[in-house]
Amino acid sequence: MSGVTPGAFAADRGLASCHCCGKLSPVELGRCPRCATPLHLRKPHSLTRTWALLVAAAVFYIPAMSLPVMRISGIGGGEESTILSGVVTFWQTGSYPVAIIIFTASVLIPILKVIALVWLCLAASGRASGSSRSLALTYHITELVGRWSMVDVFVVAILACLVQLGSVMTITPGPAALSFAAVVILTMFSAMSFDPRLLWDQRRNVRIPTH
Amino acid sequence: MKRHHPGLSWPRADPDERTACHFCDAVQPAPRLREGEVARCGNCDEVLYQNRPRSLSRATGFALAAVVFTILAHSFPFLTMQAASERTELGLVAAAEALFADGDPLLALLSVLFTIVAPTLLTAGLLYLVMPLIYGRALPGATAIARLIQRSEPWSMLEVFLLGFIVSLLKLGHLAEIEFHIGLWALVALVVCLAGAMGGIDRRELWDRLEIARMSGPDTKPEPAAE
Repeated sequence: MSGVTPGAFAADRGLASCHCCGKLSPVELGRCPRCATPLHLRKPHSLTRTWALLVAAAVFYIPAMSLPVMRISGIGGGEESTILSGVVTFWQTGSYPVAIIIFTASVLIPILKVIALVWLCLAASGRASGSSRSLALTYHITELVGRWSMVDVFVVAILACLVQLGSVMTITPGPAALSFAAVVILTMFSAMSFDPRLLWDQRRNVRIPTH
Repeated sequence: MKRHHPGLSWPRADPDERTACHFCDAVQPAPRLREGEVARCGNCDEVLYQNRPRSLSRATGFALAAVVFTILAHSFPFLTMQAASERTELGLVAAAEALFADGDPLLALLSVLFTIVAPTLLTAGLLYLVMPLIYGRALPGATAIARLIQRSEPWSMLEVFLLGFIVSLLKLGHLAEIEFHIGLWALVALVVCLAGAMGGIDRRELWDRLEIARMSGPDTKPEPAAE
């Protein structure tokens, strides 16, 4: 598509595109004339919010990995398993695909997502560099992939329901299940509050107030 | 039934509309597109919006099918599990109830939010918006509902739930005899239909059509700003 005048950026002209419906309107209107969402040139306090949510997610990641995600209790006593020990068990019993799914969704994706967001935040504040293409790709992958981490939480919930009713064995969710859900939710909010336009502002060397 | 005109783009309130890329903020003209075409940012090549073929009928069809499958998925159990002499039935709501009662109430609440509330909101909301739009109408509260849909979209995780379901079965498969029921197949179909309905219409097209419908509708006064 052609028609872009070089250097024609909406924020420089006091135009804000609505976060919700995408309509371009003068920021002085306060609210989008089409959908009534409050207008901002950039997402409010984007970097501060993203950082705060990221730190919170990183903190929750510690109990999520170290505490038991479920307790399996049978007649002969109980057994606790963490996310990592679950992966190891699957691998040892030969269920490689399941081990890989759980490892990717519960260990790899959250860590990579936090690293990706840290990199994006640093790049947006000018303390890290990266080509616009790789930054754009990182942003899109982060947005797309985060929700799939929730799979392990659902597995615990489903197992608990299925096995609870039997008398031979019961499975109860452990504290790590909730912590892990918190990690996923917090990183999702963190990715949502990041404004990719800050990356371009940084490249153009302009500073648009984010509040 | 209205005839379908291929190649006709959706109407716009402002024919010379301009847009800013949501990714890099570059201002550019927002031309109307033919069906199947995609508008990309001239600065960063990000997809701005696209004209999905037969968007309204596709979104309506998928959303209607999703309603049917939601009802089926909630009225039939997913599976029965036979282990030793115990027989367990699992359904979406029953599972959440069991988890609420003897497991982790907060976890149960989250599961309900992600697998029941969000998908149902999406389906019902989309249907409420898109079906009247076929006739160029917007029902009362359309703007608020369109905003609600956009907010709840990332939190609808039925497909993730389905993957979790498969993983749990692989974990339990050797312990018990498992039999699948209609509820499960309805859930699989629901995931497909929900994806079809949400992907059937571009967000920008939805908002443009709503704007036109409200302008030409019987009461032209703008809706009060809620929030």
